Amino acid sequence: MKRSVPLAIVMVGGILFMIQYFIPHQHSQTLFEYYTEWAPIVGAFALVLGVGSLTRLHSHKIKRKAKNWQYSYAVLIPLYSIPFFALVMPQSLGGGMMQTMGGDRLTMGVFDFAYMNIQVPIQATMFSLLAFYIASAAFRAFRAKSALATVLLLSAVIVMLGQVPIGELLGKWFPKVGLWILRYPNLGAKRAISLGVGFGVLATQLKIIFGVERNWLGGAGE
Amino acid sequence: MSIWEKMLNVDRRWIFLLIGIACVVPFFTPLGLPILPSQEVISIYDYIEDLSTDNAMFVGFDFDPGTAAENMPMGVAVLRHAFARNVPVFITAYTPLGQGMAGMAIDELTNPATGDYFEYVNWDAWAEIRDQGFTERADIEEAWLAAGNTLPENARGWIFEGRDIAFLGYLPYFHLVILGMSSSIVSQFPTDVGGTPLEEMPMYQDHKSLRDIDLAVTTAGSSACVAWITYGREKIGLPIAFGVTAVMATDYYIYIQSGQIIGQMGGLRGAAEYETLLLDNDYCKNPGKAYIGMDVQNIAHLLIIFLVVLGNIAFFAGGFNKKTKLKGRR
Amino acid sequence: MTETIGLWVGAIFTIGIYSFLYKENPLYRLAEHLVVGISTGFGIAITYTQVLRPKLIEPLANGEQGAWLLLIPAILGLLYITRFFPSVGWLSRYPMAFLMGAGMGVGFPLSMKSLVLRQLEASLTPLYETGMAWDIVLGNIVLVLGTLAALIYFFFSKPHKGPFFGTGSKIGIWVIMVGFGATFGFTVMGRISLLIGRIQFLLGDWLHIIK
Repeated sequence: MKRSVPLAIVMVGGILFMIQYFIPHQHSQTLFEYYTEWAPIVGAFALVLGVGSLTRLHSHKIKRKAKNWQYSYAVLIPLYSIPFFALVMPQSLGGGMMQTMGGDRLTMGVFDFAYMNIQVPIQATMFSLLAFYIASAAFRAFRAKSALATVLLLSAVIVMLGQVPIGELLGKWFPKVGLWILRYPNLGAKRAISLGVGFGVLATQLKIIFGVERNWLGGAGE
Repeated sequence: MSIWEKMLNVDRRWIFLLIGIACVVPFFTPLGLPILPSQEVISIYDYIEDLSTDNAMFVGFDFDPGTAAENMPMGVAVLRHAFARNVPVFITAYTPLGQGMAGMAIDELTNPATGDYFEYVNWDAWAEIRDQGFTERADIEEAWLAAGNTLPENARGWIFEGRDIAFLGYLPYFHLVILGMSSSIVSQFPTDVGGTPLEEMPMYQDHKSLRDIDLAVTTAGSSACVAWITYGREKIGLPIAFGVTAVMATDYYIYIQSGQIIGQMGGLRGAAEYETLLLDNDYCKNPGKAYIGMDVQNIAHLLIIFLVVLGNIAFFAGGFNKKTKLKGRR
Repeated sequence: MTETIGLWVGAIFTIGIYSFLYKENPLYRLAEHLVVGISTGFGIAITYTQVLRPKLIEPLANGEQGAWLLLIPAILGLLYITRFFPSVGWLSRYPMAFLMGAGMGVGFPLSMKSLVLRQLEASLTPLYETGMAWDIVLGNIVLVLGTLAALIYFFFSKPHKGPFFGTGSKIGIWVIMVGFGATFGFTVMGRISLLIGRIQFLLGDWLHIIK
């Protein structure tokens, strides 16, 4: 019950739906439709795992007064208050859609406010920090130490110049060569990599279906 | 410590400051250099240019706020094009945060304060016209005008909710949702995000599954876009176009060459190319955010190349490639 | 008013996070934690309004025909909660098995087509056709041979020696380096674009000193 039934479900489901692709009979099609309709419902509950883990982690931190424990409130308060406000003040659940969904810009709900003015700026700014680090890396780590490294460097410089309009001013051929690199040698390299990934994906799928790969079972209730 | 060593050990915060300056100053001294659209972007533009009110497309906001600077202009540009051509658009999202991004894009295009917008007509606002039995786009607009409505001065046209747009939003396990929509869209999205039943929408009545859809544009900051190919294109032959971040763009040229996607907007440059096409063809009055951003990008790229060259000069001139080991902060 | 406050809040967080470049500070730590809380909270709200309410609760509450069948995915989904109780935690494997098994089965033929067959097919492109420009012909040669060479480089079952495997893998690594160079160039563009986006927010949306 603990391991063999889930493994059997995976195997039967996997084989059944693989066959369904090749033999789209009316019955198998109905089964397929049920599956695609139910999957998001089942998947939605998986969020409980994330919420539970976050709550446990941060409430423990607060209880034990661990380092920087005060910040755990910054996780827990929005975690529970945002869904609450979304339900009691559902101005809109579409991010910024104040007017379009019948709302009014002046009466922005807490939900939208938190999304647009806290979540969006914070996430966007955190990602943009990478611009500074890549500049620093360009200066400190990007070395033409060998012939291969020089090729990498040259390719990068040409593509970079090819992508910005000023590149064309510096040399008419920059955009052309830049695009050529992207469309041919880059493509060759990426195709080889993606074929490798593709075979890997297929092998993993088969291994899971046939129960060779069982890591997904986790350790619960061993 | 030699001068080269000192140079290579410079506090990295000086480099941070340099890149900051290089990204701020050009906003005040624009170069205004033209951006020439590439074939990868032109083919998406041409494809949408051939669509009309009888067709329909999907636009997937498959990114989070982290990559919005690159992806948002793409989504906005494609939506602007579709709205201007009255192509019905279904809008979806791969993640919950992506649904918010989609909302912000629609908001930007329907905000009168921008001075170049589309007037959004709520589902309830045109209920009477629906009750009279009008479902065709031209008839709806005619009846709407006849009801005494006039288009505001800076508006480009109307967007009738349920005829021109259906904001479907997010669902988990979206790759399976794509598969499910290949049989029926309503089985996955019984309502739009505002709770309007999809089955009542005229645009749904004309396009009930992905098989009735002419194009899906996915603007993505992760490999979510590949799901559209695997589960949409390969299952039912749905034409796909990519709008992806620059970091991912080089990986996806393989799909252009294999014909699995009709084109790709790669990074801010790709978005700026689409904006250029819209501007040149009078779909908007002013250059978009990506177009302006690319002007700043010029200087930043030159600075990065300068830093690479300078770093290498210091490295080799200081002899660090041989025996001398570079000491100090790294 | 709300919009202005919102812009100020956004700007304070933006500047606060950038201050991290100078030194780690409490505002950055606060932002780091808030982002986790808000995005998960947002996820719960959206998942409820997009999935659970329209696809489960409403059909059941309205007594729609055949809605009782929805109890199956609902019960399966609820089994995820058992993960928090060690004695019955194994039950959480059932919803996972339901999603994974069929998902893999559905995905296998499509992944095969998309990631492998189409790619192999596209690699067999004609090198030359009448009227083709020289740069395209050269490109096609690089593409076909480059793909093959890069594949050889990744093929570890044979030693990279001899005219085929040895030379092939050597050419392969050169092609791969050109590809990585292109990716690095694009990565720089992408990262800078994100910074430009924030500066547009600060100077444009917040301070109104640029368009």
